[in-house]
Amino acid sequence: MLLQLNNISKWVHSGGQKVFLLKDINFWVHEGDFISIMGPSGSGKSTLLNIIGMLDGFDEGEYSFLEESVHRLKEKHRANLYKQYIGFVFQSYHLLDELTVKENLEMPLLYKKIGGSERKALVADMLDRFNIVGKKDLFPSQLSGGQQQLVGIARALIASPKLILADEPTGNLNSKQGEEIMEIFKQLNNEGVTIIQVTHSEKNTAYGSRIINLLDGSIV
Amino acid sequence: MYTLYFKIAVRYLLKHRLYSFINILGLAIGVTSFILIMLYVNHERSYDKFAGSEHVYRVYMDFLKGETFLPGDAQTYNLSGPELKKEFPEILDFTRFFHMEEATIVYDEKIFEESKGKMADPSYFEMFGQKLLKGDLNTALVEPNSIVLTRSVAEKIFGNDNPIGKTLSVFWGDNHPLKVTGVMDDITKNTHNKINYLISFSSINSWRQFKNEKEPNWSFQNYYTYIKIDQKADIDALHKKIIESDIDGDIDERHNIEPVEEIHLRSNKPYEIEANGSITRVKFLTTIAFIILILSWLNYINLSTTKSLERAKEIGIRKVAGAQKKQLILQSLLESIILNLLAISFAIVLAIILLPLYNEFTGKELTFGFYTLKSILPILGVILFGMILAGVYPAILLSSYNPTKALKGKIRTSSQGLNLRKGLIITQFMATIVLLIGAIIVTKQLNFLQEQPIGADLSTMVTLKGEVLNKQNDSILRKQFKTLEAELEKLPIVLEASLAQTYPGDSYDNLPSFTGLMYPDGTEDERIPYFNYTVQPDYFKLMDMKFLAGKTFLPTSKGRSNEVVVNEEFIRVIGITEPNAAVNQTIQFFGNEWKISGVVKDYHHFGLKSPVVPMIFLHGLRRDNLLVKLNPDIVSTGGYRDMIRQLESKWTTFFPQSTFDYIFLDKKFQAQYDEDIKFGNAFRIFTALAILIAALGLFGLTSYTCIQRKKEIGIRKVNGASIFKILKLLNIDFLKWIGIAFVLAIPIAWYVMSSWLENFALKTSLSWWVFVLAGVMALGITLLTVTWQSFMAASSNPVDALRDE
Repeated sequence: MLLQLNNISKWVHSGGQKVFLLKDINFWVHEGDFISIMGPSGSGKSTLLNIIGMLDGFDEGEYSFLEESVHRLKEKHRANLYKQYIGFVFQSYHLLDELTVKENLEMPLLYKKIGGSERKALVADMLDRFNIVGKKDLFPSQLSGGQQQLVGIARALIASPKLILADEPTGNLNSKQGEEIMEIFKQLNNEGVTIIQVTHSEKNTAYGSRIINLLDGSIV
Repeated sequence: MYTLYFKIAVRYLLKHRLYSFINILGLAIGVTSFILIMLYVNHERSYDKFAGSEHVYRVYMDFLKGETFLPGDAQTYNLSGPELKKEFPEILDFTRFFHMEEATIVYDEKIFEESKGKMADPSYFEMFGQKLLKGDLNTALVEPNSIVLTRSVAEKIFGNDNPIGKTLSVFWGDNHPLKVTGVMDDITKNTHNKINYLISFSSINSWRQFKNEKEPNWSFQNYYTYIKIDQKADIDALHKKIIESDIDGDIDERHNIEPVEEIHLRSNKPYEIEANGSITRVKFLTTIAFIILILSWLNYINLSTTKSLERAKEIGIRKVAGAQKKQLILQSLLESIILNLLAISFAIVLAIILLPLYNEFTGKELTFGFYTLKSILPILGVILFGMILAGVYPAILLSSYNPTKALKGKIRTSSQGLNLRKGLIITQFMATIVLLIGAIIVTKQLNFLQEQPIGADLSTMVTLKGEVLNKQNDSILRKQFKTLEAELEKLPIVLEASLAQTYPGDSYDNLPSFTGLMYPDGTEDERIPYFNYTVQPDYFKLMDMKFLAGKTFLPTSKGRSNEVVVNEEFIRVIGITEPNAAVNQTIQFFGNEWKISGVVKDYHHFGLKSPVVPMIFLHGLRRDNLLVKLNPDIVSTGGYRDMIRQLESKWTTFFPQSTFDYIFLDKKFQAQYDEDIKFGNAFRIFTALAILIAALGLFGLTSYTCIQRKKEIGIRKVNGASIFKILKLLNIDFLKWIGIAFVLAIPIAWYVMSSWLENFALKTSLSWWVFVLAGVMALGITLLTVTWQSFMAASSNPVDALRDE
């Protein structure tokens, strides 16, 4: 078991009333899963993904990740946990505009305090693997959307995470680019990486092994 | 990792050029102003610091006024030094100076006008830590009629020849042949006691001018006395003993001492060697320097916190990639350090470029030497410290963003951050308005001073001066001057001419004072110093001084008499209320009886900073100044140059072997305000710079606000808001903040400026319109700064703004 959510709820107060963003979510993920979360806008998909990614907190329930109770961990400890095991891929890529492709890839390694020569080797591997060696000195604005997302995935992967969280990774791409990205996810999954994606596209869910449907903050 | 931080910082700065430019320029202006002002301030504070200076004190005289002693004279008796040393063993030594402002030196038929000569005791070298380049320190000033020259004077007179043992002539009243016994280094500029050459003090024994002072006595306060005090001595106790002692046996005055290091900034007594600096001015400038520096930091904080909103996404990505708060703070700090170092470097270059201009402006010779480098090191320390401080807040703010919100672009100004920025802007405006009010009041006061009637008309007046080198008997010379006066009056360009000892605005040198006067009613007054100078009967008409009662002296064939004219203040002091009642009364001083022939209206002899003093005009013939009133009609058509040439040719026909010099009286009188005018200029310039910094900040802030509110503006416009409505929306906050700043600034400016005005005997009023004007100016500057950008934002097509979504 990679992670488990028990009775997770999250709410906000609006006009004196509790509005549930997530309600009583029970959810578990095994290593090697490829899960798609689906649902209409506002159903809580991204919130759920952020909670899993430890970027966001919750109000009720329990969350354990690799047998650790996330909700009991201190901020620093939690940061170490996700730094080590989790990689993020975003719909709008979120690359740093001021850094080149190479430097964008290098950034997470810096925060993990990995030595210079090892960093170089890892970056070179990634550039190689995604066939973007020729682009290593370009800035994000000089790349197409598909290429930017490739860099985004490469960056998420560079620290060899166990889990990749992807929030509509193909949302900003055309269908051909989207397919390529999904193929890469599929391949990563075959290599043992656990993937959770949020998606609107039925076609994308086909790459996954399990679908979770959300509606108004609950799993249906 | 640091190289990456560095790289991203540089790229960021390059990408956001306008932002970087505004930030760096603002900081650089602030730092440049700070450096320049502090160079000046350091220079002013560096006066009279030499090895052992902390043990050297100047002796001065206090006079009893009413029940209290007040500083009365920077000069002492020639007995003061020797007697004090005898009386108090703590006093190790004394040095007396007799100051000669101008003299003519002749050597080998070459003529040199040299200023600032002194007669000095041999102890001078030891006390003031001065070395001799040539000659013997111990004997150079011992023999009468010895002279020690500074290096530059020696080179000017003797070129490469060795001056030691040569004889030159110093014309000071008479021709005095003096033997050169030494050459010393040039005296540093930062001393109140500037010296170009030294004559042995023992020379007074043989000079005719000192015939009454050969034996040291308690009669003439013409000497500056400095004492060196044993470093083990209790200075407070000694000070007490000195002021309580009555060594000259005169209960109406006492000797007092002050540290030599404090003279330049804190002493402003009658008969100072030179017009000293002012500690108020130094404090004011220091305050302005810090205000400008702090303004530029506030600006920086303001801009970078505003700008940091835009960087929220970057922070979010970094946090998601595993960055810790500490690392983010470090990065942000590194960026601010890079930016600030750029600004400092820029500022130093700017300061070096501007220094010559600044020197011309302040009348100082400030340099960026090793010494100044050392002295500005603490300044740079202050700057760096402030910069780091200014970087910390944005850094902490930036690093504390919640990553999910940051990534979604949901970070908006928190109310706390908004309050802080509001506070910063209000503080900036407040400081700016205070400076504006200050600048207006300083300008107003200076104009006020210059427009004040001084009680005498100095326009188109010159005094002719010069040294007659082949003179015989002094009384013959005086007659020649009298004839010259008459000859000059025949020239069509000359309205009138008259010989006088001194004139309003001249230095203290020619204006003696005495105590010891018997009133007409027999009251003996030993307390009040009476200033007096010798003039001819036509002096008052020449100067356009008005008589309240009586008239000028009756002309006599000898050109002198026992008649005197006094001023209004004089009769007030001796207790006569009605000017007419004073006429023909007899007063006694100098052991003689004098008849008051007239009372003139008060006039300002020392300029308008000092109060009017009791003045006595004596009737006599002195040739110190040949005052000439030029015909203003001819001046306005022909100008001065030709007129001066005519005067000079008359002068040279009378005195073929002589020097010729002339001074315009009104310019000389105005020169008393030089320092104040410079201060006023400095105030205005640095105020303008402060405003520029504030405006840069506003500019940056508005441009940012407009970008941030682009969508809001678009939505409002789509829903029918007019451009004017949008402008109002964008600008209303600034107007509110200015209002608050204005209200806060008024009491501060009021308090500070009233205390500045206390320095003047005559002060302008703190009129209400000054404050309103400053407020309106601040408002105008703000609107100018923000409106352009707001207008651009308000008039843009809303579709563009909304399409981004």
